[in-house]
Amino acid sequence: MSREGFVPPTAANLGNAASGIQTMKDYGVKYICAQCAVNFSLSPKEPVRCKECGHRVLYKARTKRMVQFEAR
Amino acid sequence: MTTAQFRTLEREHRFKNPPKDKSDFQLLYDAVRPHVGSFNALTEGPDGGLLNQAVKDIGTKTIFDSNDVTRLGNKLKIRVDSVQVAKPQVPSTDKLSVVRNTYPAECRERMTSYRARLLLKVCWSVNDGEEISEVREAGQIPIMLQSNRCHLENLSPDQLVNLREETDELGGYFIVNGIEKLIRMLIVQRRNHPMAIIRPSFANRGTSYSHFGVQIRSVRPDQTSQTNVLHYLNDGNVTFRFSWRKNEYLIPVVMILKALVETSDREIFDGVVGADTGNSFLTDRLELLLRTYKNYNLYSQKETLAYLGDKFRVVFGATPDMSDISVGEEVIKRIVLVHLSNNQDKFRMLLFMIRKLYSLVAGDCSPDNPDATQHQEILLGGFLYGMILKEKIEEYLQNIRLQVQSDINRGVAVNFSDRKYMSRVFLRINENIGQKLQYFLSTGNLVSQSGLDLQQVSGYTVVAEKINFHRFISHFRMVHRGSFFAQLKTTAVRKLLPESWGFLCPVHTPDGSPCGLLNHLAHKCQITTSPSDVSEVPKLVYKLGVSPTASAMNISGPNVCCVQLDGRIIGWCSHKQGRVVADTLRFWKVEKKHGIPLDMEIGYVPPSAGGQYPGLYLFAGASRMVRPVRYLPLDQEDIIGPFEQVFMNIAVTPAEIENNIHSHVEFAPTNILSILANLTPFSDFNQSPRNMYQCQMGKQTMGTPGVALVHRSDNKLYRLQAGQTPIVKANLYDEYGMDNFPNGTNAVVAVISYTGYDMDDAMIINKSADERGFGYGVVYKVEKVDLSLNRKRGDPITQHFGFGDDEWPQSWQDKLDNDGLPFIGVHVEEGDPICAYYDDILGKTKVKTYHSSEPAFIEEVKLLGDDNGTSEFQTLSIKYRITRQPLIGDKFSSRHGQKGVCSRKWPQIDMPFSETGIQPDVIINPHAFPSRMTIGMFVESLAGKAGALHGIAQDATPWKFSESDTPADYFGEQLLKSGYNFHGNEPLYSGATGEELRADIYIGVVYYQRLRHMVNDKFQVRSTGPVNSLTMQPVKGRKRHGGIRVGEMERDALIGHGTSFLLQDRLLNCSDYTQTSICRSCGSLLSTQMSVPRIGSQASTRCRRCAKKIERVLPNMDELDIWEDGQGTKFIGGGETTTVAIPFVLKYLDSELSAMGIRMHYNVGPQ
Repeated sequence: MSREGFVPPTAANLGNAASGIQTMKDYGVKYICAQCAVNFSLSPKEPVRCKECGHRVLYKARTKRMVQFEAR
Repeated sequence: MTTAQFRTLEREHRFKNPPKDKSDFQLLYDAVRPHVGSFNALTEGPDGGLLNQAVKDIGTKTIFDSNDVTRLGNKLKIRVDSVQVAKPQVPSTDKLSVVRNTYPAECRERMTSYRARLLLKVCWSVNDGEEISEVREAGQIPIMLQSNRCHLENLSPDQLVNLREETDELGGYFIVNGIEKLIRMLIVQRRNHPMAIIRPSFANRGTSYSHFGVQIRSVRPDQTSQTNVLHYLNDGNVTFRFSWRKNEYLIPVVMILKALVETSDREIFDGVVGADTGNSFLTDRLELLLRTYKNYNLYSQKETLAYLGDKFRVVFGATPDMSDISVGEEVIKRIVLVHLSNNQDKFRMLLFMIRKLYSLVAGDCSPDNPDATQHQEILLGGFLYGMILKEKIEEYLQNIRLQVQSDINRGVAVNFSDRKYMSRVFLRINENIGQKLQYFLSTGNLVSQSGLDLQQVSGYTVVAEKINFHRFISHFRMVHRGSFFAQLKTTAVRKLLPESWGFLCPVHTPDGSPCGLLNHLAHKCQITTSPSDVSEVPKLVYKLGVSPTASAMNISGPNVCCVQLDGRIIGWCSHKQGRVVADTLRFWKVEKKHGIPLDMEIGYVPPSAGGQYPGLYLFAGASRMVRPVRYLPLDQEDIIGPFEQVFMNIAVTPAEIENNIHSHVEFAPTNILSILANLTPFSDFNQSPRNMYQCQMGKQTMGTPGVALVHRSDNKLYRLQAGQTPIVKANLYDEYGMDNFPNGTNAVVAVISYTGYDMDDAMIINKSADERGFGYGVVYKVEKVDLSLNRKRGDPITQHFGFGDDEWPQSWQDKLDNDGLPFIGVHVEEGDPICAYYDDILGKTKVKTYHSSEPAFIEEVKLLGDDNGTSEFQTLSIKYRITRQPLIGDKFSSRHGQKGVCSRKWPQIDMPFSETGIQPDVIINPHAFPSRMTIGMFVESLAGKAGALHGIAQDATPWKFSESDTPADYFGEQLLKSGYNFHGNEPLYSGATGEELRADIYIGVVYYQRLRHMVNDKFQVRSTGPVNSLTMQPVKGRKRHGGIRVGEMERDALIGHGTSFLLQDRLLNCSDYTQTSICRSCGSLLSTQMSVPRIGSQASTRCRRCAKKIERVLPNMDELDIWEDGQGTKFIGGGETTTVAIPFVLKYLDSELSAMGIRMHYNVGPQ
């Protein structure tokens, strides 16, 4: 989990860092870009854009947590 | 492809490796070609496509800057020079997107429109000086998928898959707000061909108007049309009628003739009468026609034009600088026979129409049937789209004029030569044409000044529903007669006429109100989308001995053969020669050596006694229905149309060809059926309505809507979990690639009355088959959560997805992740949270809850960005998966219109079994067959059984067997070979007792479809629940948890059975039963009220009407008789009240009546 928490610097958040915008903490929830299938996390109040390609549809990734329910 | 095969490995391979060159299913692409082709024609083809032709036709608008009547002022001439449509792109403000193209999948997911910029090159000149041009953006117009403006055009299946589309994305539709919409094809009158019509309503136009008329729908090169009608007046006169901007105008036909060319009465007389000077009926009427026109005192063309121009100056909005003559010319150009550009041609055509009208009146020719396919063509979606665009562009120019006019009126400095002023004008008008087209597509409503020569204003678009692939593909083959005809009392328009053979499917039409109005194209029928090149044709025709029109001015009438090419008279010849010309042209056309297009229609109408008006009519324009047949003399493909087909001899099978009679033979008899009708196995063995029902039910099947379902966000999607390829299928099933979208399951079906649970079209499902997954399906529902909906435009964002720092129930976290969105795969029930958001204003975290009584699983959660991709996360779409295993009450059907409801899931141990140990999956009752005569189902059962035993697929194409070679024998032999009974029945053993059943049972394999009508969406129960507050009666509607009405007929039945207690229970006790107090003495329901209790005593019900008001308490009054109301007013008396049970509406009725001054009095007894 901790390894996934690291976000590699991309063009988008490098720009943010340069302009002094502090990236807010994310929830550890991963999103998948619908176009380029890149896996990344998103912080709240951030526009819905893919970090790599700028696509505007993101899929929520399936959680690593166990999702459990009664089978009947 | 020869015979049916399973091709399992081939299919498997294709799914794993989508073809990198082209699709394997060309037929599917052909099916939507009319849509895509017509849209492509807007931007490609001669003269830069239809849109550029349209702006040429609109021409130049002239504006003057003076408000002074005496002075014109500066002149501004403005026109649209050209139109360009871009491809869908992300907005230019978006700097982040790596991929600049917008693809359809994104539009579906984000619920936006797939649209591209519309660019207009506007040119203007001031006082006829130098022309200045500017490219204006006119919004974004929706783009048809797979068209030449779509990014998916010509992509291979492999590339399509990479763009998140189906392997065979056919296109032909638009995406508007995430919904797939298509413009449906409409049947309209055949273009450029004068049609003789007898219509009683023609006589309503005026006193002397008769019911005779000749109507022509002239189509301009840009596909817009103008209808012209010639009316016969009872005195023999002829008037010309047209409608312009929804108003009708009538002009004497001679005036039009004189305005067209410089002509003489003699010329008109000769042009109509020709050599038939002995025909006194004709000559008398012509004399009258010419004589009555003398009253106008107009002789030369110029005079006539000036007269017309004067009358139509206002209607056409002509500017003061135009002379009357040029206005008149404009009228002629825009109104009269607009498919012809040359006035001489128009003149000749009009003379021909007059003659046809007189022939109709004299009874020399019969009226043409406007409901027959012969006189019809198809208005294609792309062309309609272009027509609307043209009108909107014209409106755009008009708006510029209006804007300048309002500037003049308001005293704003108008200076045409100032670029700043012009850009101000552009800024002030509504340039967003794209928005108007989007409105058209999303509502189907036509907002138009002219009405576009169409008979309806709404219902032009439909949603391309993806319930299953059958339904989806059917949308593109659907042609509608027009909603105008739906209200018509007469059923003549709905009739299936022999003329439509091979063009419209005789089977595939819904039953009920749209029956016969909503047809489907036969699967080989194509619609031409561009005019073919016929420049060589006149030369060839002249070579064959037709005299050109120029040298044959006084030849006319039905005694000679008029040769017309696309509504232009090109010559005359004798009838005998006409036939030779027609036959030779056809030979040359199929030979493809003389430059005659193969799809040209050669409609030779032979002379007859009172039949259709003769002539040789050649058609090569767009929008015609055409289909391939084999031409016998050359044994090659010929393309024929419905006009010529009526007069041709086409053999259905090669066996029936007779020498010197048949010129053509059908490629296959199944060519007359639509795609869906072709998929019904052995449909030639069924009673015909059953095949119609199957075409309906095939479209309601819970099947496979597509493969790229993850990338779709349809509101509701049905999916069959384990669809199979049918064992028994027509060859066309494979050619159309239906295996990519399986629609049902092969089931072992026994025809037996076994348990009593299979009565009346019910069917029993083997419980173990159900557990193995027979007919198992799921429903996907998508909910869009948009936080910005609660917010006005421009307001700051105050609601954010996610949890806030405040206190909120920890139980929410069972369903919701840290980001406030649900876990993928979590199970939700009614009332469960589906997303959390923090509201800044309230400072509280809130949740949206799941509102459906059916539990579901979260299948997908998609975060949707906004158009510009700048604002924060506000929209979300959640896809739910609702499991739908077959339940008692769910609907199933075979492919033979044999639908039934599952009545029981019978345990396998109690199901009958055969000697080989086979137990049926489905049991149906034998009574389903005798009256319905679906023999095809028996044959399918037999073929399916043989196929399953031998491991082969069976070809079920209709008309493959005959009386001498019956399917019973063919499949019986196969059964015999595998050791089964020849006839398909077997001894079965009772599952309960193990005894052999007395009769052999017919058991076989039938492909079963699960229909989308399921009890879970339909059941309605209620004991108590919401009531209407006014009447206190239960509300109606399943959604509101209402009741089911016991209506008048149910009431009658209960009375008839004498079940009065039941009736009272339904109508009163379970409805609005109320106890209320009533005054015994005055009999009023409304005047009773509760008194205010005094200390030490109970409140009592009193009648205020009977009570006497007392000002002060007198000593002789009994303290106990006095009561008080809420205001403290004291009364005495009115104690004669009692409680009765009434329906509450009675009280409502009483109060409504009293409001009208009517008092209701009830006699209460016993006293």
